[in-house]
Order: sequence, then structure tokens, then C-alpha cells
Amino acid sequence: MPDHCLLEMKGIEIQFPGVKALDKVDFTLNRGEVHALLGENGAGKSTLIKCLTGVHHMDAGTILYDGKEIKPTSPQDAFNMGISTVYQEINLCPNLTVAENIFVGRQPMKRGAIDWKEINRRAAELMSRFHMDIDVTRPLSYYSTAIQQMVSIARAVDIDAKILILDEPTSSLDDNEVKLLFDVMNELKAEGMGIIFITHFLDQVFAVSDRLTVLRNGQLVGSFGINEITKLELVTKMIGKDMDTIFNLKRAEIAPDAPEMLKTDDLGTPGHIENVNITMKKGELLGFAGLLGSGRTETAEVIFGAVPATEGKLTVNGKEVAIKKPLDAINAKMAFCPEDRKRDGIIGDLSIRENIALAVQARRGFLHPISLQEQNELADKYIKMLSIATPDAEKKIGELSGGNQQKVILARWMATEPDLLILDEPTRGIDVGAKAEIQRLMLEMCNDGVSVIFISSELDEIIRCSNKIIVMRDGNKVAEVDGEGCTQQTILNIIAEGTQEGGKTA
Amino acid sequence: MKKKKFDISSIMQSKITWAVVAEILILLVCFIIRPDFFKISYQPTTGMLYGSLIDIINRSAEITIIAMGMTLVIALGGTDLSVGAMVALSGAIALKFMRWDVLVYNTPGDYTVMPYILVILVPLLVCTLLGLFNGFMIANIGMQPIIATLILMVCGRGVAQICTNGKQFTTLYSPFRVIGQGSLFCLPMPIIITAVIVVLVSLFVRKTAFGTMVESVGINPSASRLSGIDSKKIILIVFALTGLLSAISGLIYSSRIMSNDSNNAGINYEMDAILAVVIGGTNMSGGKFSLAGTVIGSIIIRTIVTFVYYFGIVSEATMAFKALIIIVVIVLQSEPVRQKMAKMGKKKKAADVPKGGAVSA
Amino acid sequence: MPEGTTLRKQSLASRLLKPQYIMVYATVGIFLLIYLYGSFRFGKLGSNDIGFNSLRTFVNMFKDNAYYGISAVGMTMVLITGGIDLSVASVACLTGMIVAYGTTKLGLHPAVCMLVAMVIGVGLGVLQGAAIHYLNVPPFITTLAGNFLARGVASLISRESISIEHPMIDSLAGFKIYFKKFSEGEWVKVKPIAFININLLVFIVMIIVGTIILQKTRMGRNIYAIGGNEQSAKLMGLPVAKTKIFVYGFNGFCSVLAGYAYLLEVKSGWNLALQGGELEAITCAVIGGTLLTGGVGYMIGTMFGVLLKSVIPALITFNGNLLSWWGKIATGGLLALFIVIQRIVVTASDRSEARAKKKKT
Repeated sequence: MPDHCLLEMKGIEIQFPGVKALDKVDFTLNRGEVHALLGENGAGKSTLIKCLTGVHHMDAGTILYDGKEIKPTSPQDAFNMGISTVYQEINLCPNLTVAENIFVGRQPMKRGAIDWKEINRRAAELMSRFHMDIDVTRPLSYYSTAIQQMVSIARAVDIDAKILILDEPTSSLDDNEVKLLFDVMNELKAEGMGIIFITHFLDQVFAVSDRLTVLRNGQLVGSFGINEITKLELVTKMIGKDMDTIFNLKRAEIAPDAPEMLKTDDLGTPGHIENVNITMKKGELLGFAGLLGSGRTETAEVIFGAVPATEGKLTVNGKEVAIKKPLDAINAKMAFCPEDRKRDGIIGDLSIRENIALAVQARRGFLHPISLQEQNELADKYIKMLSIATPDAEKKIGELSGGNQQKVILARWMATEPDLLILDEPTRGIDVGAKAEIQRLMLEMCNDGVSVIFISSELDEIIRCSNKIIVMRDGNKVAEVDGEGCTQQTILNIIAEGTQEGGKTA
Repeated sequence: MKKKKFDISSIMQSKITWAVVAEILILLVCFIIRPDFFKISYQPTTGMLYGSLIDIINRSAEITIIAMGMTLVIALGGTDLSVGAMVALSGAIALKFMRWDVLVYNTPGDYTVMPYILVILVPLLVCTLLGLFNGFMIANIGMQPIIATLILMVCGRGVAQICTNGKQFTTLYSPFRVIGQGSLFCLPMPIIITAVIVVLVSLFVRKTAFGTMVESVGINPSASRLSGIDSKKIILIVFALTGLLSAISGLIYSSRIMSNDSNNAGINYEMDAILAVVIGGTNMSGGKFSLAGTVIGSIIIRTIVTFVYYFGIVSEATMAFKALIIIVVIVLQSEPVRQKMAKMGKKKKAADVPKGGAVSA
Repeated sequence: MPEGTTLRKQSLASRLLKPQYIMVYATVGIFLLIYLYGSFRFGKLGSNDIGFNSLRTFVNMFKDNAYYGISAVGMTMVLITGGIDLSVASVACLTGMIVAYGTTKLGLHPAVCMLVAMVIGVGLGVLQGAAIHYLNVPPFITTLAGNFLARGVASLISRESISIEHPMIDSLAGFKIYFKKFSEGEWVKVKPIAFININLLVFIVMIIVGTIILQKTRMGRNIYAIGGNEQSAKLMGLPVAKTKIFVYGFNGFCSVLAGYAYLLEVKSGWNLALQGGELEAITCAVIGGTLLTGGVGYMIGTMFGVLLKSVIPALITFNGNLLSWWGKIATGGLLALFIVIQRIVVTASDRSEARAKKKKT
């Protein structure tokens, strides 16, 4: 093992029930480098990381760390060896103060007792190194997600870590914060730390990494120096197929005399969105673009009544409706596939059949049950129509893969035969094949006369499918552009509006 | 191979299987020690059947009835600690209505002061409303069930005492006696009442979509709401139902003793009911539930108690036996142990079918 | 801004007025309100009588519930981790039984019996903690088993109350420190006579020990971290298993101490002693500002919780016309009040969090 090499993982294999999650994967990390780990969801990135941090145990392979073979048994074990991880979700304790979150478990002691003054002083110092002058004695829950993320990074780097793993740390940060993070990463790199950086944002990879490794379907595609590869080559390596052949889709056609499906007049809810005006026609596919937290998801939530509107009017199918809760929206023939499938979509322990019938059942009320036979018919119909990969309809939805779960949720809403379907990030975290299928399905539904609102952070798919694109920023609608002839740059410019680069959406 | 029913590992994993096995084992031990344990005799004078088995089911009535509601509460991911207090309250109200003013009606007798219909209906109504109150605190104020119901648990018995002015009434009113001591079709009345309730609740839960919705809310409240389920309504109904069932249980209890006993009526019932549900295979964290399992769970608890009485062991020692049963059940049901067993089952299957595994799957 | 100024600036007002402390202030405030009301209302009752505002009444408020207070110290820690322990009262009962049986029936020295009880109590706590962590069984069920087991074993030892007579117990129970004042050149006992007994001393010491553990040791902070988010605590590399086992073990220790304290009070062991006492301990902690959802709680709050719980019966006794049952109802009402305040505080802080997030985006 050469001297500059800090970590060498060789021939890593992990077998999960039914799948080979990692198949003979090699990975090396040098001292003082930022090494990006890339791949589509399900490629095996997090499995590899969890193997290194002791969450999963390898079935084969060796890990050499600082020249010695190690076998981490738990995150704590890895942590003690100097392998520190920052996860996408914030893994801190909301009830403790910022300072304590940084130091809990290794508080400085004075005469046998915790030295609170020292903790607060060092925490303030550390946060100011991140250019964050905040009151470190306030509970963590008082601060925004971005600050919380910074705190978790501060915690990770304050120990004598030799390896820092950043697992999608930037998804909740704005551009300034991302820049700040990169500065910190460069500083740490200069101190000789090895950083493994996992992200979906390719621009960020090229902005900060020295090397990158691509995984696909649990196998190693290759490791490259950052200058040896172009962005396009990278994407091709990640996806493994030529993109155009998969995405051969045609925009929905709207009849010239199509009636108005949805109209909002100054729709608003304090803290979510303000004065949003949208009109859309029957059979139209309306794309929503904007950064996370810009109001794209929030608008959908308000329209669907997940967060009821306090201001403005909502007209559906030519009738003004008051929508106070999701059930009202369902009765107005709307449907909503939420962004967080796990939290807001699936009922994990119920079967596919029960999950599909759920919304229809909710609309009918529990006193008018759908007979088992009808349920089976519904389930079989959609399993076939959406080609959901399952042996039968009685399998628990929690046991399906992400893409198939998403199809079941889609089936749940298609079964209600909606006029307006809202899809919030329907393609996130599922593999490319399923992605294309869902997009195709969306367009088919439009051609059948359903209006679709499509929210995504991937601009290319929005541009490819939408008739019209609404651009959101800070809870406001800032622009409306035609899908035809629109380029990513146009939208990025609108999002940035001259003040920022829309760098997140690669 | 295709039919799931014959899958050994899934039966091994099924929690209700263990409850049934446990009950059979206990009964077997009883039978070995005392072969006449299963004897059932007919008493012509009272027109009732007698025997340990009948007694077990009869005496388990109070807990079984409450546990029907508790199953739904636990399926929602909650617990209702107030049921015991409601049992006491229900009895207190009934006796208060039968005796009303003890200064005027100062000897117990075969009479009721207020109409009998009120004696029955008012406790049911009051406890249903208290259950609704629990549900309101949980669904509308957003409290944790264990906290919301703790309030009534702490002060419910106090209210029962106030209601009878701290006194213990007795009555000899014969229609009231029928509830706990009467018989129908040769069986003790509590068994009949329990059977009716079990059937009604099961029908309500499984023949409508109510059960699925309860499970859905218990598993993922947020997703259920977005799918249009009115989870508030579900929570209110479940807690109100539990209140109603507690009241029925309280009437049976006080009819058995023909008195109210605010200190001891329904004591530890919340624990026993939760225990019955958990032994019956419903997970404490909510989700899929089994009413049949709960009935078995309740009977197991009572079997142990009867076992202890029958063999002349110190009656309070039932506690220790209950503890042992819980320990066995929780160890068998715990995630790590079940995973290990599932693995064992799978290994065995793999050994049986060394190559065909992939085909049959 | 240099960080020195940041630290100094918030050392005064804002350090005391943190949202975390609101619940403790509410407890202290309500206690003072009730106490002052009692003092004005029942301050002086004739020349010889003991007024509500006397030192004696105040000290008795600590003394009367000292054993619940001692238990509440451990319970507070358990609740902060987000768990619950239903076994405490039974363990205290078992302690009394072991000491009484060992001393009176077996003729052992009470110190030996106390040691045995301590080993059993702490051992049971540790086992419960291990089962909760490693088997992933809900604390509610695990400690319910512990509850049944301890009381069952106590019943197996004896069904009758065993009184205890031993010079060591007598001297411990008779230990008193009188409050004295300096008057006319000598120290005289204050009138009405007020004194501190060993139970009160243990209670105060345990509050201090609890505070030190929670605020000054890593173990204490891990307890808060687990209550805040157990998953995070695990990923932050905190020793979750060790901490949970410690907490339940320590709670076992407190339960045994509470058992000693109760023993000194009644000088006997009884298998039905302290029934339902676990709820008293939980109530003390909750009205002292401990969140049942975990993550928040202070020992000083728990101490005032105990006082608050004692001041109500005291007030009812002084009133003289009310049934003692009103005490239970008032405690329930208080509990409801506190739970509602907690709910409001949590919602308000959530809102400020949302605002902060909004500002950021």
C-alpha cells in the first residue's frame, strides 16, 4: 500500500436477500483528497459506505486503513477509528444545544465534571470557523436545516477524524452554504484528511473533487481523475445506456378547445406560498421547477389541502371549491403523489392490494367497503398495467423496491380516476428504467384527458415532458415558460435571477 | 409450494401461532396434574354448565371485552390507560342510580330507584363520552395516547368515589344480577355478552373497511391522511368504543359483586388488557392486529389465574406467573429472536429443496 | 463578533429565560400560587394549631411523599430517555418484603437483607434495560413484566403483612434533626415542632445526585441525547446500550431506596404495599416538567413536582370539608393542565423553528 493511500477497500462483496448489493468493488482514498462516489440510486454507494462504517458486514473483501486491516463492527467502532460520517438526514438531537450536539459523548471534563464553559467556547469557535455566528447555547431545533447540517459537519470534523464521509450533505443547503461547505472541505483536505463525497449534483462534483468513482448496479464502473472525464461521459457511465434511446418521449397534445381544469387566484398560506396564480387546461402537463423549498412542493400541498390555503380562491373544473383537507381534494377528483414516498406514501405493512384500494376506500368512507373481489380486480389491473414486479398482490408494499413502490402509489391514485394528478418528484430515487416508464405513463394519462402537475428537481425531465413550466422562487411564482423550445439555461437563469447561479440542478 | 399457507417459516413467524401453542401447553399441564380439569357438568337446578373451562371463559369476560377496544387502540399505535378507572366509574354510576339517596332508601333490596334502563344506559353513555374525550385530546390536541389517558387513569377513580360520596353501595336488584350471574343457553351470561361483543366488533372491523383504516393510520398516519383517510374520526371512534366496552365490563364486574368498589374494581385491567392484546400477537407499535389473537390472549391470562387458584397456589402469585408468560411471549415475539427463527426455517427449506428454491419463489 | 462577547452577553437574562426551562418555572409558579393561597387562607388556626404556613407543614410536604420523590428521581431519568418504568412500586414493595421477612422470620441482620434487596432491585433494572435494548421490546411491556414479577415474588414470600422490629430499623426511623432557633441564650426547638428525618435527607441527596448525573456527566448527557433522537444518538457513536441499561439499573436502585424509605415509615413489609405507586412517581415527574416523549426534564422540576403533589392533599386536609378524593381529581386536573402547557410550549417552539427555517430559505 503506497504511503499516500489512506484507505483501500478491495473486492468488497455484500449479499442482501435476493440481490447482490455489492459485487467485488474496489475503492481507494488518498490522504488530502476529496473523492466523489457516484451512481444512480441503488448503485451501491450507501451500501459501500455503510460497509466502511460498520452498519453492514461484508461477505467478502478486505479494508486496509492506514496500512492495517480493519473490520468495523458498528458506527461507533468506525467513529473511534477516525472514520466520521455526515448523513443526508440530520442525525443530531433536536433537544440538545448546538454546542452540546457537537461535543456530546466527548465533552471536555474539568475536575470530573463536564466543563460547560469550554464546550460553549469551543463550539462558538468552531461555528465561527464555518462563518456562522450563532448562539450555540440554543437548542438545535431552533435553527434551520442548513445550520443543523453545518453543525453535524462541525461535529464530524472536530474529532481527530482521518476520513470524513459526506453523504449527500448539500441537498438542504443553498448556494452560499454550499460554497461555505466547499471552503471547509478544502481546508480539511489541506490538513490531510481524506473526504468521501456522495452527491447527485454533478456540478458540485466537478467543483470540489479530485477523483471520482462510479458504481452501477453494485459493480465498479471505474475510478477517474477529475480531469480525465467530461460531464457527459460521467452521466453515460452512471446510467450505462445512451440516454436518448430511453427518453424518446413526445409531449402531450392539448386539444385547442380544452376546458380549463384548474385555476388559482392569489392562493396563499403564510410561511408556505404567496399569491400563486396558475391556470391549466384539461390534458395539460404542467411542470414545476425551482429549488428545494422554493414553493414547488408547497404549492402542491396547498392545492391538495395537505396544508390548507388561508388566502385566495381555487377553481377546479369550473367550480370554486374549498379544500380544507386531502379528502376534499380527492372528492374534487384530485390526486397527489407526495415527494417523500416512505413518510407520506406507502403504508409499509399493508399489502399491495390494500395500498392500491386505500384512496378509493377513503373516498367512499369505511362504511361502504370495497369487496375483496373488487380489490383484487383493481390490484391485478394496475399490477399488469404498470408492470409492477411482484409475485402477487398480497405482498407487503414495504418489501418492494423503490420504483415498484412508486408505481403502487401511482396505482392508488389512478384507481380514483382523477381529473388532476399532482406528482411530486415521482422519479426520485428510482432506477432509470422505472423513471422512463413513469414519464411515459404520465404523458399517456395526459393524452387521456387527465391534467398532470409534475414537480421535479431534474430540469431535463421537466423540460422534456411539460407543456408549460412554472418557475417558483421563495414561495412565489416567478415565471411561466413554454416547454417547447425551452432550455435548461433559460430556467436556471430565471431561478438565479441574476443574483445566484442555479448550480444545484445539474 | 405456491400456497403460502403451508409455508413453515411463515407459520413459525406468525405470532398468533405461539399464543395458541402456549394456551394448549398450559391446558396440557393442567390436564396432566388434574385429569378432571376438563370435566364439565350440568347443574339442573340452575340450568347452567359448570367446569374449569367454562369458568375460565366466564371470568375472562371483563378483560376480553375491554381488550377488543384495546386491540384497536394498540393497532393505532396507542395505549388506553384509563379503562380500569372507567370500569370503576361505570359500576359506581350504576349503583348510584339503583340506590340513589341512601338516606331514604337505606337498606339494599330488590329494587331500583331510577329506571333500570338508565342504570344501564347512563354508565355506557358517560364512559363513551369519556372515551371521546380521550380521543379528542389525542386526535385534536395532538397528545400522545399514553399521556392523554393517564389523566383519566389518575382521576377517574376519584370521580367514581365522589359520585357515590365515597360510599360502597350494595343492591339485590335481580334484573341487574342477571348481567353478571344469570345464564342463557346453559352458559353464564358474561360468556354470552362477550361472544356477542366479539362478533359485533369483528364484524364492524372486518366487514367494513374500518379495520384496514385503523391499521393504515397505525402504520403511517401521514400517508393515511394524504390518502384521504379521516384519521381524527378513526381515533375518536376507537377511543369512544373502548370507553363503551369498559363500561360494559364495569357493569358485568359490579353485577358479579352486586356492589360498587371504586378502589378495587378494574384494578390493573389496563395492564391485563394490554397484555392480552400483546400475547395475541398485535404489535405494541401499531399496525396489523388480530382480534382472535386477543381473545386467546385474554383466555391465556385467565387460564393462568385459574390454574393458580385451582392448584391452591397463593393467589397473588398469579402475578409472577403472568410475568413469566409475558417474558416468554416477548422473547419469542422480539425482532431478533423471530429473525433468527425465520432464518432457521429458511435454512431448513433450502436444505429440503437444494436447487428448486429460485423456481418456487 | 469575537466569541467572548457572545458568551458574556447571554450569560444573564437569556441564560435563565431559555424555552427549555419554561416547564420548571410553571411547576414552581403553580406550587407557589397554591402554597401562598393556603398560607393566607389557613395561615393561623387558633394559637396552638399548626398553620398552613408553618415550617412543619412545609417540611411535611417533603416528608409525606419522600418515597415517591426518591422513586421519581430514577423515573425522571427513564422518562428523559423516552422510556417508562412500571416496575418501581413493585420493586419497592419487594424490598420491604425481603427486609421484613429476612429480619423477622429468618433472623438475619436487616443490613444484610437490605443488601440482598439492593442486588435484586438493581439486577432486575439492569435486566429490564438489557431486554428493552437488545430484544427491542417496548419499555411499557418489559417493565410491566417486571412489575408483575416483583409483586408476584413478594406475594410468594408472604401474603400477610410482616412487621419488623430491630434496633437498627428503629434507630434509622427515629433519626430526627430538629429545627431550632436561638432564643434567650439557648437553642430551642421551633414550635410547632418540625424536623428532618432520614427519608427527607435521602430524597434531597438523591435529587442532588440526580442533578449531578444529568448535568455534569457524559452519561447524563447521553440520556438526554437518547431521548432527543435515539437513532441519531446511535449514529453519533454514543453508547446507547450502556446508557439505557444504566438508566434502568439506576431506577432499580432508586426503587429499592424508596422501598427502604417506605419501610422506615410503616415498619412492615406487605405484598400489596404501594399499589399503583409507579403512577405517582410518573405523575411527580410529569408535573415537574418532564416530557413523556423524552428529551426534556430536570431534577429540580421533579422536586417541585413532588411538592406540588403534596400541597394539594395538605390543602384538602386543612379545608376539612372536602372528601380526600378531590385530591385525586385535583392531581388529575393538574396533570391535564401541565400536559396542555407542554403541548403549547412544544407547538410554539415548533413554530419558531418553522419561522427560522422560512427565514433561511
